[in-house]
Amino acid sequence: MFESVEMVQKQLEEQGYICDKRIATVVFLANRLEKPVLVEGPAGVGKTELAKVVAAATGRPLIRLQCYEGLDEAKALYEWEYSKQLLYTQILKEKIGEVMQGTGSLREAAARVGQQDSVFFSEQFIVPRPLMHAITTDEPCALLIDEVDKSDPEFEAFLLEVLSDFQVTVPEIGTFAAKHRPLVFLTSNDAREMSDALKRRCLHLWIDYPDEAAELRILQAKVPGMDQKLAADLVAMMQRLRQLDLKKTPSIAETIDWARALLALNAESLGEQAVRDTMSVILKYEADIRKAQQELSRMMTARAAVTPAAVPTPSAPAATGTPPAPVAPPKKGTLH
Amino acid sequence: MQRKIIEFANLLRKSGLRVSVAEAIDAFQALEELSIDDREVFRDALRASLVKRGDDVPTYDQLFDLYWSGFHDNLKGAFEAAAGALADDGIDMEQLLQKIREMLESGQVPEGEVDLSDLARALLTGDLSELEQMIRAAATQAGVARIENMLQIGFFGRRTLEAMNAEGATRELRDLAARLRAVGMGDAEAEAIGRLAERFFEALRQSVRSFMERELQTRNFEYMEKFRREALFEKSFYSLTEDEIARMREVVNRLAQRIKNVMSIRRRRRKKGKLDLHTMLRRNMARGGMPFELVFKEKRKDRPKLVILCDVSSSVANVSRFMLQFVYSLQECFTKIRSFVFVAELGEVTQVFHDHEVGKAIEEALEGGGVINVYTRSNFGMAFHTFWRDFLSAVDAKTTVLVLGDARNNYNDPKAWCLRDLHNKAKNVIWLNPESPSAWGFGDSVMDKYLPYTTLAEECRNLRQLSRIVDKLVL
Ligand SMILES: Nc1ncnc2c1ncn2[C@@H]1O[C@H](COP(=O)(O)OP(=O)(O)OP(=O)(O)O)[C@@H](O)[C@H]1O
Ligand SMILES: [Mg+2]
Repeated sequence: MFESVEMVQKQLEEQGYICDKRIATVVFLANRLEKPVLVEGPAGVGKTELAKVVAAATGRPLIRLQCYEGLDEAKALYEWEYSKQLLYTQILKEKIGEVMQGTGSLREAAARVGQQDSVFFSEQFIVPRPLMHAITTDEPCALLIDEVDKSDPEFEAFLLEVLSDFQVTVPEIGTFAAKHRPLVFLTSNDAREMSDALKRRCLHLWIDYPDEAAELRILQAKVPGMDQKLAADLVAMMQRLRQLDLKKTPSIAETIDWARALLALNAESLGEQAVRDTMSVILKYEADIRKAQQELSRMMTARAAVTPAAVPTPSAPAATGTPPAPVAPPKKGTLH
Repeated sequence: MQRKIIEFANLLRKSGLRVSVAEAIDAFQALEELSIDDREVFRDALRASLVKRGDDVPTYDQLFDLYWSGFHDNLKGAFEAAAGALADDGIDMEQLLQKIREMLESGQVPEGEVDLSDLARALLTGDLSELEQMIRAAATQAGVARIENMLQIGFFGRRTLEAMNAEGATRELRDLAARLRAVGMGDAEAEAIGRLAERFFEALRQSVRSFMERELQTRNFEYMEKFRREALFEKSFYSLTEDEIARMREVVNRLAQRIKNVMSIRRRRRKKGKLDLHTMLRRNMARGGMPFELVFKEKRKDRPKLVILCDVSSSVANVSRFMLQFVYSLQECFTKIRSFVFVAELGEVTQVFHDHEVGKAIEEALEGGGVINVYTRSNFGMAFHTFWRDFLSAVDAKTTVLVLGDARNNYNDPKAWCLRDLHNKAKNVIWLNPESPSAWGFGDSVMDKYLPYTTLAEECRNLRQLSRIVDKLVL
């Protein structure tokens, strides 16, 4: 249980997740009010990750239900193990003589078979799926229903029921109710708008691309070995790219991948060559890459025009004057 | 607080946001968990419970400022000003209030003799939240909902003060001074209470006034928002500002989304086919015919093929713009889409939509997509003839052809026979014309010549009509 909004922020940060007060407020409330959170936002801004780190921070196991088109109750909740049941009927058939032994009347025989029948539809033939897990688990858990927008509206209606009272009824067996309300996160990329009914049951959180400062902190948390100046340049570049009208806007995931790629190549600065070699890490479409390269050249020329005068000044506070040394030791300390 | 939240939820609703009662209750519960002194947290907590759509956030933010940030500060300001004015007269307001409270509590004044009203009490204890509640309630009672313009501020302000009996409270305070003097308060202090009463009245008057001003602002905002939302649907495509185009684009996206939802429900219903016994038996042969694996028949989906012919001359550009946006937002509802633009020449722009994201592609298509010259006079006959000559093979019995244009042909040859051949091959020919049917066939309109070769021809001059047609098209 989180004590305050600030504590949420701090505890998530300990898990390597950088978030603003807005996100922290919603997480805090979700935890207190035991309400599901619908997290929306563009791809790769940390929606899934948020659920994971909240689970980790609260010490709850994470149960994940990945949604896709065609996902149905059977795949999400439970399935009868059909082949096992069939096998069982086979055995039953063979044993029928034994079972029937000593039965006098037809009625008695039918009752015997009936008894076998109730075994047939019992828990041992149920294959539990994530939702069932989340409901029947003994310890409090976190439930991530990922990319719920990919599921069909029909499935959404079913989710709605589960989310409102956290119990499910298996007609042949009975009702299972959750011992503890799971902490639920639903994520959506807005592939389609979720129904009002679902939204009403959830707190809503919109995560957008982070601003420059936040993104830099995320990068430092995720790729700690990186030169500060390089990291700052990279983030500045990403922020610029997001302004462009691209087919697929690069996200935080791409920032991190890009940083790792540059690190792997031992790139010391964001030179044109290094960027060209690694551009495909962040952009997937040919047209986007072309646009980005133009923008990059523009940025470079702009910077080249400024640098001669600017070299000594920008690092004024750290006045030690170590511009070209990428392995400056004191930098790591300042990351947290 | 509860009342304030319900009121705020109402306000959001009036501005076109969908907020349910359950959500208002959530908001209230949320606030019980948090310290609401942190404005930011307060705002986020309310938003998480009340606003569930990204599009609505800007409206929420504006209304939040209008409703929450302002009035309490106004009130505080007014009473601080009162304290300041008293200080100028050499009176320490806090100290004086303290003294009064003490004397009242000590029971020096006989019980029953000081029967203070709630307002007077709130003033004496400096309970601003209570005062805020009272002003709100009194304003409602005074009918502030009917305020429409600046000139009425004075009128409704007076009625509000009357409703809360501000003058009465002032009088009570003066009487109190006399009573307290009778049980030993000094003359100077008693006189100071008189001043205090005056200042308090003034502060109330000020606060009520700013309340009225805010109310008016909110009213205007609600009205504008609602008006803007609704007007957008009826607004003729002929005259749109940049801003309206941007807003309509959003609306079109949302409508497209809605249609997709409906579509996918339908598709799922249909997909649940019957057991396919033949295939099932065959596939389970290896297990001695025991049906281990169930096989269902998949129903064939009959999504239409679409060919769009868009007049992109300036008179029709917006119809084409939004139609294209619709169609491409609904891409997955069609097997195949081919798009053509024309003014007089006709050219295919399907590729443009492969290369760019939809918004960009549309703007390019409207500029001719690099395949036609848009700076000429419309010639439908020529355009249809080009299509007939070069692309008729693209049309088959599963194709729906969508023509967007006003059929104003500048007295050229309409070549209606080209459309006739098209109509014969296609499943449907649907024509959307931004002009009203009463104008069809008059002047240089040749709509009447084309009409026999359409399956459906409709006026399409605004979003409402457009969305109705799209519904028909896909559902
Ligand atoms: N605030 C953050 N702090 C630390 N890491 C983050 C943050 N936001 C995103 N990331 C990182 O970015 C990557 C992408 O995040 P994630 O997969 O959660 O995105 P998503 O929003 O779920 O994307 P999608 O919509 O594609 O599923 C992850 O590797 C995650 O570690
Ligand atoms: Mg994800």
